Amino acid sequence: MTPAVEFSNVSRHFGPVRAVDDVDLTIAEGSFFAMLGPSGSGKTTCLRLISGFEKPTGGTIRIFGEDVSATPPHLRNVNTVFQDYALFPHMQRVALARALVNEPRVLLLDEPLGALDLKLREAMQDELKALQKRLGLTFVFVTHDQHEALSMADSLAVFNEGRIAQIGTPQDIYDRPATRFVADFVGSSNVLPPDMTRSLGGPAQWASLRPEATRLAATGPLSGTVTALRYLGSGTRVLIDANGTEIAAMVPAGEPVPAEGAVTAIAFEPSALHLMGAS
Amino acid sequence: MTRSAILPARGPADRLTAIFWRHPRVLLAILLTPPLVWLGVVYLGSLAALLLQSFYSIDEFSGVVKEEFTLKTYGELLRPSNFDILVRTVSIAAAVTLACAILAFPVAYYAARFARGHWKAAFYLGIMLPLWSSYLVKVYAWKLILAKEGILGWTAEQTYTGWIIDGLLSIPGLEGSSLSTSPIGTFMVFVYIWLPYMILPMQAALERVPNSMLEASADLGATRAQTFRTVILPLALPGVVAGSIFTFSLTLGDYIIPQIIGNSANFIGMAVYQLQGTAGNIPLAAAFAVVPIGIMLVYLGLARRMGAFDAL
Amino acid sequence: MLSDRSPLSLRAAAIGGLLFLHLPILLIFLYAFTTEERSFQFPPPGLTTQWFGVAWNDRPDIWPPLWLSLKVATIATAIALVLGTLAAAAMTRSAFFGRDQISLLILLPIALPGVITGMALRSAFGVMDIPFSIWTIVLGHATFCIVIVHNNAVARLRRLSGGILEASADLGANAFQTFRHVLLPNMGTALLAGGMLAFALSFDEVIVTIFTAGSGTGSKTLPIWMLDELIRPRQRPVTNVVAILVFATTFFPILAAYYLTRGGSETAGMGK
Repeated sequence: MTPAVEFSNVSRHFGPVRAVDDVDLTIAEGSFFAMLGPSGSGKTTCLRLISGFEKPTGGTIRIFGEDVSATPPHLRNVNTVFQDYALFPHMQRVALARALVNEPRVLLLDEPLGALDLKLREAMQDELKALQKRLGLTFVFVTHDQHEALSMADSLAVFNEGRIAQIGTPQDIYDRPATRFVADFVGSSNVLPPDMTRSLGGPAQWASLRPEATRLAATGPLSGTVTALRYLGSGTRVLIDANGTEIAAMVPAGEPVPAEGAVTAIAFEPSALHLMGAS
Repeated sequence: MTRSAILPARGPADRLTAIFWRHPRVLLAILLTPPLVWLGVVYLGSLAALLLQSFYSIDEFSGVVKEEFTLKTYGELLRPSNFDILVRTVSIAAAVTLACAILAFPVAYYAARFARGHWKAAFYLGIMLPLWSSYLVKVYAWKLILAKEGILGWTAEQTYTGWIIDGLLSIPGLEGSSLSTSPIGTFMVFVYIWLPYMILPMQAALERVPNSMLEASADLGATRAQTFRTVILPLALPGVVAGSIFTFSLTLGDYIIPQIIGNSANFIGMAVYQLQGTAGNIPLAAAFAVVPIGIMLVYLGLARRMGAFDAL
Repeated sequence: MLSDRSPLSLRAAAIGGLLFLHLPILLIFLYAFTTEERSFQFPPPGLTTQWFGVAWNDRPDIWPPLWLSLKVATIATAIALVLGTLAAAAMTRSAFFGRDQISLLILLPIALPGVITGMALRSAFGVMDIPFSIWTIVLGHATFCIVIVHNNAVARLRRLSGGILEASADLGANAFQTFRHVLLPNMGTALLAGGMLAFALSFDEVIVTIFTAGSGTGSKTLPIWMLDELIRPRQRPVTNVVAILVFATTFFPILAAYYLTRGGSETAGMGK
């Protein structure tokens, strides 16, 4: 099947600034694709390259197999839900209707829920996801909110400094981050340096360890002093100084929480330790 | 889904739009060419013609313009009678600028810091309307005011202060049968006409002084007078310089006001006007006109360094 | 803590300054009704409305200059609207080489004293043997009116978010449809205001005009007529009647321009 959107070696440089740098990307038809990254990582520029509001300085963009490098925005069969309109839910729906009325083949959404408060945002997330399923339309969704990206997307790309750090399903990205940046940005994972990984019985490589995959115990492979506690409602995040490396662990609600300054050990399944590439 | 990802062009407008999108410079050129041709040909061309003519000279016997390059005409500017005109014009422009700055300050300061709501709008309109209103009508109004039998003379008579006017009119160099025919009158009208051009940029500069800065100054123990002198005045200075560009330049080139009000002493503008008209000495008129250009270019250069352009 | 109340002396000085700007203009109105026609005697010895009738019926010399001024202002405004808008559209696009220089070029005709613009045009007409006509007047007026329209249009374009143009293209509008249905309605009031200010400026202009009008009777604009009357007065109150007419013809467009662009920074006035 022809992909809905395809980037081959696409770059967009503004003078010395490489907003998008040599990006390859394939978005399958009918998927809910999220572009996730901090501000200035190139995700919004990528979206604007698809809509035609930006032109690539290099590379080729194809929409349903057709090279659009000579096609101005108004002749591209894609539509955008702009950030500006997304202040209120009812305006949000108008913006959606406006973008859908031309029956685009790809719908681009630029942080459409960024200005909403948590409750409304969650409601709109459900609504958007349901709409996308019903229409069977390709959605490309830009966000800096990792929860939003993980919960809505069929697949997602994590952007960093104009490049894509990792592409995959939300599970891939969350459980098997390819780089330290992804591990840190998506779900604030513990990033373990190579010598610590080796001391835990693994190879001398960087590794990630999700806080919710750990539990506090009397004995365990890691131990240290509790330095800070952060109550999150559904549980408590406990920060532990393990030989100079800060490790976060989650204590579910209802379980005993150690006091600050207490010494505790951290236990986890060996499979929870995920090895990462060098970058 | 059989619709293409690329919609077909619906006509020449779509195709042109595509060209503009692919080559933004084409659109830029289309937009810029007409105004640039006009300003480049009409205006810059004229300035070039002016400069060219200032390097010509006039044959003293036949009165015919000799179209040969010479600096003789510029040399004539240094003749005492002509040089006086330059000095007199620059002096009155400087004096008018200073007077405008002093008179403008309370209005600009009040409008920027204290006027709120309707008063703010009233001040804005109250400054803008006289600025834009008919120049000649305003000059004419002062002809009425300054005439011997006019409202100023009448008021002086009613309040037994006529001796003040008589005293002013007896100062050497400022003599006249009334204010209307004295250099004092010329000066007053210049100040009146160009005052709004000083108030507006000054107000704009003062409005940019953040309240937090004044509060910080007060917080650090400064009295009102200290705050005014060390915080407000320095921050208002770019506005004063910006306003002075207008008052100075406009006074430098005006030839209507000294023609109607005052003792017919010559100014640069009047010299240009008379030389090109009755005297028919276009090269010298052109050389006179080049002087304010030079002065203003230097002035603008200095003003730019003082950050005055941000206050415009 | 700073007090929000102003010192009384400051308020008095500020209001005094405003009165100083406005009272002289009111005198023009008073003198249009005086019975004294040979001097500027104050207070007027008597009041009459006869001068309005005299101006209307007995002074045919007023009408040709009035028509000429209206014609010149209309044509100059039309040219300035087209050229000023084009320049503004180009200048608000992304930076390009020479942008600062072009911006200076647009500003120059009003930044330099009028006598220079006038003398420069006069020199050019002389060098190229162009005879004086209504078109030489228009040439000068349009040149310094461009910046007025340009400044108004640029201020509005800067306030308009670029998103609105992208949204238009996103919905399938080409450049011309976007101009017609999005840009023009949004810029309408700013252009109208710029046009009105340009008209007022042109209608009232005398400094440049004297150099570009020549000395023929057919090339006398209303301000030149007024200047003649100031230097060689005939029926002084009639001049006042015409002054009121000139004042009104510039006052109302200026007022309208203010209300059309209220809230923006278009009519800052530094254009004139």
